[in-house]
Amino acid sequence: MTHLLELLVQTAARFGLNYGFLLDAYQRASLVNGALTSIALCAVTIVGSLAAGLLLASMLTSGRVWIARPARVFIEVTRNTPTLVQLYCAFLVLNMLLTQAIGTANPLTPFAWVVIVISLHKGAFHAEALRAGIEAVPAVTLEAASSLAFNSRQLLWNVQLPLALRFALPSLINNLIDLVKMTAVASAIAVGDITYASIMIWTQSDNVLELMILLLAFFGLLSFIVNCAGRALEARLRMPGYGH
Amino acid sequence: MPYTRSPVARYLPLFVAALTMLGGSVAAQADATLDKIQQRHRVVVGVLLSGGPFGSIDPMTQKPKGLNVDLAEDVARQLGAEVELVPVLPANRVQFLQQGKVDLLIANMEWTVERGEQLGFVPTPFYRVGGTAAVLKDSAITRWEDLKDQPVCTSQGSSYIKPLTGFGADIKAFKSSSESLLALRGNNCVAAVHDATLINPLVAEGPEWQNYRAISPELNPAPSVIWTRPGETDTQARLDSIVKGWHRTGWLIDAEKRHHISPPSPALVELHDKFQAAGA
Repeated sequence: MTHLLELLVQTAARFGLNYGFLLDAYQRASLVNGALTSIALCAVTIVGSLAAGLLLASMLTSGRVWIARPARVFIEVTRNTPTLVQLYCAFLVLNMLLTQAIGTANPLTPFAWVVIVISLHKGAFHAEALRAGIEAVPAVTLEAASSLAFNSRQLLWNVQLPLALRFALPSLINNLIDLVKMTAVASAIAVGDITYASIMIWTQSDNVLELMILLLAFFGLLSFIVNCAGRALEARLRMPGYGH
Repeated sequence: MPYTRSPVARYLPLFVAALTMLGGSVAAQADATLDKIQQRHRVVVGVLLSGGPFGSIDPMTQKPKGLNVDLAEDVARQLGAEVELVPVLPANRVQFLQQGKVDLLIANMEWTVERGEQLGFVPTPFYRVGGTAAVLKDSAITRWEDLKDQPVCTSQGSSYIKPLTGFGADIKAFKSSSESLLALRGNNCVAAVHDATLINPLVAEGPEWQNYRAISPELNPAPSVIWTRPGETDTQARLDSIVKGWHRTGWLIDAEKRHHISPPSPALVELHDKFQAAGA
């Protein structure tokens, strides 16, 4: 393993790139740790954002104004403000107020705040994608289902959502790829993701270019995996007669 | 009446051309940055405006103010150039200098061996500053060693990260000191470590900081210098004489008083005495 790494560093050095920091056990450990944190962050926020999106979409399409209106307001506010500002607002303001109110027992870590903020932010986008899917379900299909005595919840879960998901999937995957890249904002509030680990290394030594290449490759790979998973899911859920 | 040019106006283009050539021939002897400054009569200085007496934005006029700004303006004045201030952050200041977005850095960046190898600097420091930690008044932390395994806030690119890691502290580095200090007040860390010149005035007089105190002695006191790109010896030599002049005339000590930087730095008095003796 170390031998392979040395070979890699030497090869890179031939192109004028100094990846010597990979041989330093401490810096390598902090990078690997950062990469794992980034992956964990992505995994948790993907689940969180989909749950938030599903909830918001079902509120939007509930047909009851007093449920749909708050969801609409939330989506507009969340969609129309920058993620970084929301994160600062949540972590530096809300978190401080929370700590002042309940003291040091505040259970919300910086990691938790990033998960909450990104999940809700991306959830708003998912909700719109899902709403497009739900509204694309043909009225005749719904009529046929209600003639089989489905109530409104059964209608949503058993008829509308399975079809809506198929319509919305490309859009959802698009959102998820954006979510993967968005996790880099975690570095702003000192969550030790890979961006943070890189910043910590390059502010102490001169290897911005090398770390940037590494960062881009890492996020590129992660997005590509999400993309592939999405494509596979699309192929698996393919249904004749619905756009294919 | 037909328009006739006065003798001055008639020879003005020639005069300007002659001056430009003269300027060009003088400038050609200097290094790239000094050359550029003298040709354009403009010097671009990266300053840190993270709040406090060294650099902040005046809430009334929205203009930058502080010791960093005064130094930048005086450098420009003595070089016969106009100053353009570019706000930088600890995390990006080195890149700004390397990429030529700024000509000089007057950005609370202390000299360290690693930085000295990577960049050029003016040999005479204009200040000396060490780190201190802001902690809650009732906190058990009194010495640097007490920070072992404790979450400590600081800013990305701070020169105190290395010594703090040496004490075994769990570093949480934010984009700038303002976020780090807010995180301290949100109880995300037990201490925030920054330049003593930033922390001391805050805990001494900031109304929101009355529950906090600073710990001593200062961590890694290091000389604050003006940074240039590497190898620009002419720029460094020119600036060095300016900095020495600041010390000799006591201008820096006055500037320190003017900006209410307390406690006053003993290094300034030391350097003042040294250069006054040498210059007299």
